[in-house]
Amino acid sequence: MQTTFQSTATNQTDASTLLGFWQSFKKSRTGMMGLSMITFVIVLAVFAPIIAPYDQSSTINVSIADIYQPPSASHWFGTDDAGQDVFSNFVYGARISITVGFFAAIISILIGGSFGLLAGFFGGRWETSLMRFTDIMLVIPDLPLTIVIVALTKPSLLNIIIVIGLLGWTTTARVVRSQTLAVKSRKFILRARAIGASKSHIVFNHVLPLVMPILVVQGVLVISLAILNESTLSFIGLGDPSTLSWGQMLNYAFARGAMSSGAWWALTVPGFGIVFIVFGLTLLGQGLEQVLNPRTDTHHLLATKPAVRHEARLQPNQTDAILSVQDLSIHYISNTQAPAKAVENVSFNLKEGELLGLVGESGCGKTTLMLALLRLLPAAGQIVNGKVFYKGKDLTALSEDELNAIRWRGISIVFQGAMNALNPVRTVGDQIAETVLKHEPKFPKENIPARVTQLLELVGITADQRDHFPHQYSGGMRQRAMIAMALACNPDVIIADEPTTALDVMIQAQILELLDSLRKKLGLSVIFVTHDLGIVAELCDKVLVMYGGVTAEYADVDTIYNDPKHPYTQELLKAFPDLTKPKKKLSSIPGYPPRLDNLPAGCRFAPRCPAAFDRCHTEQPALHSIGNNNHIASCHLVEASK
Amino acid sequence: MNRSRAILNKIAWAIFTILFVIVLNFFLFRILPGDPARAGMKDPRLKQEAIEALQVRFGLDKPVINCFDSLNPIKIGNCNVNPLETQFFIYVGNLLKGDFGISYDTNRPVSEMLSERLWNTILLIGLGQILSIFLGMALGIWGAWKARTWIDYGTSTLSLIFWSLPTFWLGIVLLFWGSANGFPIGGKITPGMSSFPLLQQWGDVIWHMFLPTLTYTLIFMGEYTLIMRSSLVDVLSEDYILTAKAKGLSAFQILKDHALQNAMLPMVTVIALNLGFTVAGAIQIESVFSWPGLGSAVFEAVERRDYPVLQGVFILIAVAVILANLLADLTYSYLDPRVQVE
Repeated sequence: MQTTFQSTATNQTDASTLLGFWQSFKKSRTGMMGLSMITFVIVLAVFAPIIAPYDQSSTINVSIADIYQPPSASHWFGTDDAGQDVFSNFVYGARISITVGFFAAIISILIGGSFGLLAGFFGGRWETSLMRFTDIMLVIPDLPLTIVIVALTKPSLLNIIIVIGLLGWTTTARVVRSQTLAVKSRKFILRARAIGASKSHIVFNHVLPLVMPILVVQGVLVISLAILNESTLSFIGLGDPSTLSWGQMLNYAFARGAMSSGAWWALTVPGFGIVFIVFGLTLLGQGLEQVLNPRTDTHHLLATKPAVRHEARLQPNQTDAILSVQDLSIHYISNTQAPAKAVENVSFNLKEGELLGLVGESGCGKTTLMLALLRLLPAAGQIVNGKVFYKGKDLTALSEDELNAIRWRGISIVFQGAMNALNPVRTVGDQIAETVLKHEPKFPKENIPARVTQLLELVGITADQRDHFPHQYSGGMRQRAMIAMALACNPDVIIADEPTTALDVMIQAQILELLDSLRKKLGLSVIFVTHDLGIVAELCDKVLVMYGGVTAEYADVDTIYNDPKHPYTQELLKAFPDLTKPKKKLSSIPGYPPRLDNLPAGCRFAPRCPAAFDRCHTEQPALHSIGNNNHIASCHLVEASK
Repeated sequence: MNRSRAILNKIAWAIFTILFVIVLNFFLFRILPGDPARAGMKDPRLKQEAIEALQVRFGLDKPVINCFDSLNPIKIGNCNVNPLETQFFIYVGNLLKGDFGISYDTNRPVSEMLSERLWNTILLIGLGQILSIFLGMALGIWGAWKARTWIDYGTSTLSLIFWSLPTFWLGIVLLFWGSANGFPIGGKITPGMSSFPLLQQWGDVIWHMFLPTLTYTLIFMGEYTLIMRSSLVDVLSEDYILTAKAKGLSAFQILKDHALQNAMLPMVTVIALNLGFTVAGAIQIESVFSWPGLGSAVFEAVERRDYPVLQGVFILIAVAVILANLLADLTYSYLDPRVQVE
């Protein structure tokens, strides 16, 4: 389902250059905050001799009275068990944390990175054995293993760095492997392989640069884990006795009576250091992740209230219309970008038993328009103007609860590409039964399975497949199950968003026949979103042609086929084979529909229009009625011909 | 691959991993320097008989394994040994019998020392995990539900901070605060309580457990909150949630009937992957609060250089984590119907 527009892709490409990366990273508040925290600690570590008021060897002249002195002007953070200045030790401790974190992470990243690259790039036996080994190492708890190894060797800083580094590579290997796999199948790498570039050349010049960003994020996380591990080792009593890391300071304070002396400063200050640097690294990692993997979540449950300008003049103007859409405009609103005008001033009426075809290329706002009718757009997609009347009720003004009673019972939807439209962990039958339970609470429970079976059989799915999960269905079956589900509550209107695109021709014909017969039998109204003008000609009563979010032309089906006024409709028809004129040459429309966040100034079709003149590039055409008022087109040519 | 074959495959891998850990554990303690039993035997003051007696006591009189010289691992040792008479096979045989050797420090069998402590650790970890999983999930669901509001930002920031806390340090801070507010400063039960009625004893144990459990819960809650939140936000962006919404289900029904089970899947994986960290947390918390479990056994064994205990705890912890991981794996395939036909 294409409910979002394609503007997020730009972030991705920007991030591939270093400058572009920095540009987008700067916008991430989390990342910048983390970066400044880390910078602070690094400054502390580098300039320790200048910042620390006392030298680390100042233990020599201490007396008993100096031990565990509370914070004072001469000792900001008090003194420790050896009478040393806690603040000075704290400042020097930053050096050890950074050293351990950095060097251990280098070891981990080198091992994990090369394992992941090798496994991902070469595949086969390499991959199997490396990944099996990684899985085994991943399961073995690393802190106990680190403790065992450090306890059996000498607890020097170097040993600690090596052991932490040697045991901390597993997640990196997994992450790098999957990234390598993704990168490997990119076109330019396949091309480099095809022209015979050596494997090492490809790995170092093509794959590595693309894996690098992931390695950096992973590196940041590994550093923070290494710092935490070092402090834990020191606390357990396995720290390097010749250095005074933050963990070591806590170990001494805890083991040497700070608790009973009430020396809270000796117990808290070093801990704040660890929390500060680890928190900073975590934020930095999150910021980097946001830039490298910008996620566009479409969170469907965020409260959405249409931001409609309520205009009194909009009333249901056709009393026999079951669904009347008037002047509807939908914008995708984001904090950082200009609003994308996905749909503007679209109006149409749908009568009982009528079949409306909604036609246009991909990205013309068809799906957005359909989702907006039932207010199903993600939070960014807002109805900014217009009304939707269903049986005289304005759907844009209803509360969520009132709307829920109309959804599916009054108007149901068959979604485009039903691959993910069914919940993977519930059986298909169960998901159909759910709608009956919801909307027809009086329906006898014991009859529901029979009803579900009947619905599925209607679309050619046998009873024994009722209790299967969606992944056991083929793509076409899922699509048909969706149609069965849409019919479950006998709705008045079905919105079918390209319901037959994934199906083979036979099934396609069956489905269309089914919809058509239901329409005739039950008076079902259908909005049919499609690219297929053949289906439109065969089934539809009326046609709405959309281009770039606006109505290009709206008329009954005969008028559209025999007397199209809008050049876009004309071009669309030329691109479609006509059986009555088999020798006619087919032509396609060069170019693409405009991006909805970057629309042309004048008519949206002007850049591709064969008949465009000056005015088309500067002024957006209004909707003009042609002849009787049931034929509408938005084109300056129509106005000129009147 | 059908379901039962997949399960058998997983079990086989778990067994293989356990074997790997046993081999690793054995050789780590033989190859790396620092074992006082061997170091002590080089003491020039010891008489030859004393050295031999010690060697027999710790089983060091037998060759480590075929063709392996424990004193000089680079040299090829004696290859004409009955494999079953080597230290390695004796060690494995003993392990299977539940014999973990004898503590250098207390001279008691390690298995006896550890079995007392195992249950204490399970009690602490179990309670802490249950609390942190429930609280973390609740906070994560709340954050995802109120995404992009101050509730979401608040819970996420708090979780990140808890995630960044060194476990032992949070323990120290809470202990410092608790000891000033009448909480016991450590142990499992007040000395002398064993003569009191059982109910009162239990009350005392719960009182002692309060601070360690609180530490444990806070530390792990943060990560679970973050995972649950992002997993649920991902699920709520899925197409089938849109379908559920179009069906007219209320937001609560969507969450309960469509989102949660799917969002739980990554949670199960993370809980499984976290089992290693769980143990790391137990080592630190038990050390701070002197809770008599396996974790504090590690702490004490390191302090006293009591290697048989360290070796025994490591194998016990590793096997427990591997088995728990297997359990999580099997739970996952139960929760996600797609796994069956992979």
